Amino acid sequence: MPLWWPLLLASLLFALGVYGVLVRRNAVLVLMGVELMLNAVNLNLVAFDAQLRDVLHAGQTLALFTIAIAAAEIGLGLAVVLLVFRTHGHVEPARLTSLADRDVE
Amino acid sequence: MTAVVLCLLGRPVLTAAVVLAVGHRSPHTVRGAAVAGSALCWLLAVVVAGAHLGDAAPLRRVVVETASVGQPLGIVVWVDPLSCVLLLLATTVSLLVQVYSLGYLARDPRYPSYAALVSLFTGAMATVVVADDLWMLLVGWELMGACSYFLISHHWELPEARAGAVKAFLVTRTADLGLLFGILVLGERFGTYRISEILSDLAAAPPMRDALWLPALLLLVAVLGKSAQVPFHTWLPDAMPGPTPISALIHAATMVAAGVFLVARMHPLFLVTPRVLTLLAVLASVTMVLAAAYALVADDLKRVLAWSTVSQLAYMFGALAAGAWSAGVLHLLAHGAFKALLFLGAGAVVHAVGSTSLSRMGGLRTALPHTFAAMTVGFAALAGVVPLVGFFTKDAVIGAAWEEARDGRLLWPWVAWLLVAAMLLTAVLTVAYAMRAWLLAFFGPTSPEHTGRAPHDPPATMRVPLYVLMVPSVLGGVVVLDPAAVLGPGGGADLLHGAEALTTTVLVALTGLAVVLLWRRRGRAVWPAMTWPHLPVDVLVERGLVRPVLRLAQVVRAGERDVVDAYAEGTEASVRGVGRLLRRTQTGRVQSYLLVVVVGAVAVAVLAGSLA
Repeated sequence: MPLWWPLLLASLLFALGVYGVLVRRNAVLVLMGVELMLNAVNLNLVAFDAQLRDVLHAGQTLALFTIAIAAAEIGLGLAVVLLVFRTHGHVEPARLTSLADRDVE
Repeated sequence: MTAVVLCLLGRPVLTAAVVLAVGHRSPHTVRGAAVAGSALCWLLAVVVAGAHLGDAAPLRRVVVETASVGQPLGIVVWVDPLSCVLLLLATTVSLLVQVYSLGYLARDPRYPSYAALVSLFTGAMATVVVADDLWMLLVGWELMGACSYFLISHHWELPEARAGAVKAFLVTRTADLGLLFGILVLGERFGTYRISEILSDLAAAPPMRDALWLPALLLLVAVLGKSAQVPFHTWLPDAMPGPTPISALIHAATMVAAGVFLVARMHPLFLVTPRVLTLLAVLASVTMVLAAAYALVADDLKRVLAWSTVSQLAYMFGALAAGAWSAGVLHLLAHGAFKALLFLGAGAVVHAVGSTSLSRMGGLRTALPHTFAAMTVGFAALAGVVPLVGFFTKDAVIGAAWEEARDGRLLWPWVAWLLVAAMLLTAVLTVAYAMRAWLLAFFGPTSPEHTGRAPHDPPATMRVPLYVLMVPSVLGGVVVLDPAAVLGPGGGADLLHGAEALTTTVLVALTGLAVVLLWRRRGRAVWPAMTWPHLPVDVLVERGLVRPVLRLAQVVRAGERDVVDAYAEGTEASVRGVGRLLRRTQTGRVQSYLLVVVVGAVAVAVLAGSLA
């Protein structure tokens, strides 16, 4: 299998993830965009691991790391989303502007 | 003997330190320390003077000097008869002033600093008169200026005292620049800063006439400022808001005497520069007549005395300009005695009446018999009544000017005649204003304006100095009979002049008679309240110096505000503006921030890729 197939797939996934993070109006879907980007990276790692025939399989090891971290991250992220929903009654990132510079003269 | 001189120089500083250290903790200790310090000074001065008056060899000793390259500077003392008589004068008057101040400032809250400054003042004068190194002289000279500033502004809650002190300081300081540059020029011309070496160089190889006009002129400027001669004469009368004992000290022994002393000390330098001497003679003539005329119309007793000091100092300068060294110095001593007496007497009058205005005095003869006696002797000595000291020294001065005008070696002839005419006219005016002040204060009806408790003679601490000062005022004329015994071989000129003495005596008698007749006929109405126009010196200073400086200050202030501050404020404003722009981007929307980051990262990546 040529290398550019998984790389093309990973690029498409990553772009999809970036798009989701930037434009989705629901925080849960934003988190899903983040997951897409992480998995695009995982795909890259595994693809290069196979391509380079690494005896230590560093790519696969790092992919496992990333999966574990992604699991932790999504746990935290969903907890934040839940709390935001409880305090604000919605989960739209565009309407969460309490950190804006309010007192511009 | 050097040790004694050094003790004499150090003692006033020590006294001042002790007095300031004790301060307000113990009034009796402060007063004791001040008077004891002055008495010790006086004793040391007597010891020094006893050894070096007359034709004894002068004491010259290098105490310490710099060892670096160039002309050495240092503490070098030179005690000759001139130093001795001035030391005696300064320490005596200072001691009497300290004793007098015990009564005069009995309830003054600022006594400790006052006593310390009087002590320091005396020390500064002693430094000037025994200095051989010109820089040491300059130190004492400037120290006196500073002390006089502090003492004149003793009552600093009065605006006129502050103004007078500032004026005295600024005028004398400006003139002192002449001394500084004069010292530099002298050091450059002679290769030494020692007065004795400069004088011996002058004696050994007399330079061309007027070759040394520049340093002589510079010294003259400083002297005119210190001794309040035209055109610097305005500060002395304005210094009158100071305490009266301070006026006595400044007028008799320290501040203004230093100017005459410097001319007397550097007299050989002035003798080889007749042009400068001629200038001095002209200025002295103008000063003595003007000041006497102002004294004739002043309403303030202390101002009368102040103008009289200016006028009498001009006599001394006239004598020195005519080449009569011993006559000038002796008149300085005589004036020191009777002017101290007059000021201390005036202090007693002011103490009793509570005002310095002559219009509020009158008929004090019976109320203040002791003060009356003292002031009578003082005024008589000032006017030159026959057996008193003023007669002998003034006669010596006028006689010397007369001889100079007749024989003419130094001055331009018409200037010498002008000097003689001014001296005779001033002698008449002196009698007139002395009698006027005397009559207005002590005779006639008691002033109706005077209210309150009855005036009475001052306490003993203030009476005793008056009596002590009456002795030299009455008997001082003896010195004129044999000046060489006091002033050494250089001062041995014949100082008695029969014809001139007769002339002045007749003039004094006639003027006195005229004044008394007028007084008999018209009473106090002889002297209506009037003022004579002053020389436009103050106006000139105001127009030429004060206003331009103020305008310059305004320009500087405007530059500060409109240029320098504009930059500082512009920086602030531009930072604020840029900050306001940047704040617009802080919307709080996380996704738009992230968009910027992604666009930026892509842009960097594209840029890096295209460059690689």
